[in-house]
Amino acid sequence: MRWSRTGVGLAVVALCFALAVSGTAPEQQLTVYTSQTSYSLPALDRGGKSYVSVTDLLLPLGATKPILKGKEWKFALNKAEVRLTKGKEKATIGGKQVELGGKLLVENGRVMLPMVAVLPVLGRLLNTTVDYHQPARRLFVGNTFTRFTADFKNGEQPSLVLSFSQPVTVNEDHVEKRGILTHTDTTTLIFAKDPVVSDLKTQQYGDGAIQSLSFSEENGAALLTVTGNKQLQVVCSDDGNTITLQAQAPEVSAVPPPVRPSVPSTETQKRPLEFFVMIDPSHGGTDKGASFGGKLVEKDITLRLARELRKELEERGIAVRLLRESDVDLSLDRRAEITNEQRVGIYVALHAGRPGKGVRVYAPLLTDPQQPLAGRFLPWESAQSGAISRSQTVARAVSDELRKKGLTVTSLSMPLRPLNNIAAPAIAVELTPDEDDPQSLESQKRHNNVATAIALGIVQVRNQMEGRL
Amino acid sequence: MIPRHFQITVALVLLAILISGVIIIHMTHKEEALTLQAAEAVPVAPIVGGRQEHIQLLLAYDEDQALRWRSADVFLPVDRNLRARETLRSVLAQYLQMPSPHPLAKGTDIKDVYFISDDTMIVDTTAAFADGHPSGILLEELTLASLIETLTANVPGIAKVKFLVDGKERETLAGHADLMSFYQTAVVHELAKEFE
Repeated sequence: MRWSRTGVGLAVVALCFALAVSGTAPEQQLTVYTSQTSYSLPALDRGGKSYVSVTDLLLPLGATKPILKGKEWKFALNKAEVRLTKGKEKATIGGKQVELGGKLLVENGRVMLPMVAVLPVLGRLLNTTVDYHQPARRLFVGNTFTRFTADFKNGEQPSLVLSFSQPVTVNEDHVEKRGILTHTDTTTLIFAKDPVVSDLKTQQYGDGAIQSLSFSEENGAALLTVTGNKQLQVVCSDDGNTITLQAQAPEVSAVPPPVRPSVPSTETQKRPLEFFVMIDPSHGGTDKGASFGGKLVEKDITLRLARELRKELEERGIAVRLLRESDVDLSLDRRAEITNEQRVGIYVALHAGRPGKGVRVYAPLLTDPQQPLAGRFLPWESAQSGAISRSQTVARAVSDELRKKGLTVTSLSMPLRPLNNIAAPAIAVELTPDEDDPQSLESQKRHNNVATAIALGIVQVRNQMEGRL
Repeated sequence: MIPRHFQITVALVLLAILISGVIIIHMTHKEEALTLQAAEAVPVAPIVGGRQEHIQLLLAYDEDQALRWRSADVFLPVDRNLRARETLRSVLAQYLQMPSPHPLAKGTDIKDVYFISDDTMIVDTTAAFADGHPSGILLEELTLASLIETLTANVPGIAKVKFLVDGKERETLAGHADLMSFYQTAVVHELAKEFE
């Protein structure tokens, strides 16, 4: 009895300590953004691995509640049945096995999924693109992104105007002021519920009241941090589409302001609309594309090549987005819709197919050219009409670079979907197996050669577009 | 008394005969099914009443990635719709024979063709035409260019063509070539030139 009392006492102390510690550490969370809503759910540590509740994750997306049948937990989403078994490292989704990257846990009737399994599971279940920013635990369903431009105005009262593509919410809880007594003040805007993304790391503005703007992501939120040597006033306007950070009015003082090094000569530094390339790894999910014998199918080759091309473009300072990151179904019309919504710089569709050898580069060809309608709308079937000459320029530049690499290149104009539905320069690049050897489509060296050449062609055209040549 | 080893031998022989019989029946049924399937895949014979004409077909050759004109003697009716259908079928017949310069799936056929205006034609194909078509940009475009060019060469006055699959619209032929749009025959003519 005496021992058990001691044990209970120790347990209470340990519990209090644990509660105290957990109280100080911020709760880890995953945030999911969809076009209709956004929601956060706790990420729980279980044996060094992060877990999320299946119900919390999937119920808002329209899934049925998991039901225990025998040893299996079953639920459905988008007509696909999901079967999960406690302790197993694999799930069955729509009859196919998916690796979970850890054991499935069940705690008090709650099914817990390893965090690493979130992307493959959602990729299988949702008929749309799923983009997962893993380190920050931010999950974007269906290209739901809010982007922004920053407009810095220098003067007596320097200000930074952030214009967002969709309304954002920054209330008092989301504004943190830090470092009041230090040399540099920092204002951080935290966006927990808005899918704010950016390729911006840090933008320098000088050394005054507003010195730099940086973007980062952590713990299911996006952070915009502005540094300077004064506290800033944060004002939201334009129904949440604009946030202005402004230095307080200078106080009247007999002491002259300290002399500062000169700031950039332009009064206004405006970030132009960002140029980015949309890479479309064609096919995916149930649409396998061309088959090359065995398990080699077009949808896998295009995804691999897309990743290689992204790497090559990013190394050359060009922002890139992929239309699909995993093996998901995505209709051709949806691919065009996403591309048009995001106002891409250049769209590149990747394919693989027979016959022939080398690489084929396709520019769009309108089968029934129509005059654009008056006003803001373009006919869907000939949305490409306004961009077709630029598409041909891109196709020529890419073909030239491929030839420089010693590859056999065929350049053609073809009526392909979704190229004709895209209102921006668009091309398709098709790999063909060398000497009818399908394995050549998997060659890393070949992928690298082709990706490098496409990237060089795009850099050249981008420079022409921006008048750098 | 029959020796035991003799009984076993007889039983094994009887079992072997039984198994052989089952296998033979199964193979016969399979062969019959294949024969029937092949017979169904053969295009319908020309309509009686048409007259034989010497026409030009633009055929796809996969190995050379080319389109080439070939002549053929085909029974063609006078009616414009039927003439268009038989012209298209004569192209498909070339692709369905063995060996084929541009293999298409068994069951590929033209279900119907009809004009929605003087110069605009709808071609309704069987499901096998699209479902069994080899996937690939070039292979699909060669099929469409071959059909449209042959059609305009033998049925005058067609300016636009659209393809349906089993009576319905489909996004693409086999993942690439556009089937949603109307094809202007003049545009296809320019495209076909690149492969001739």
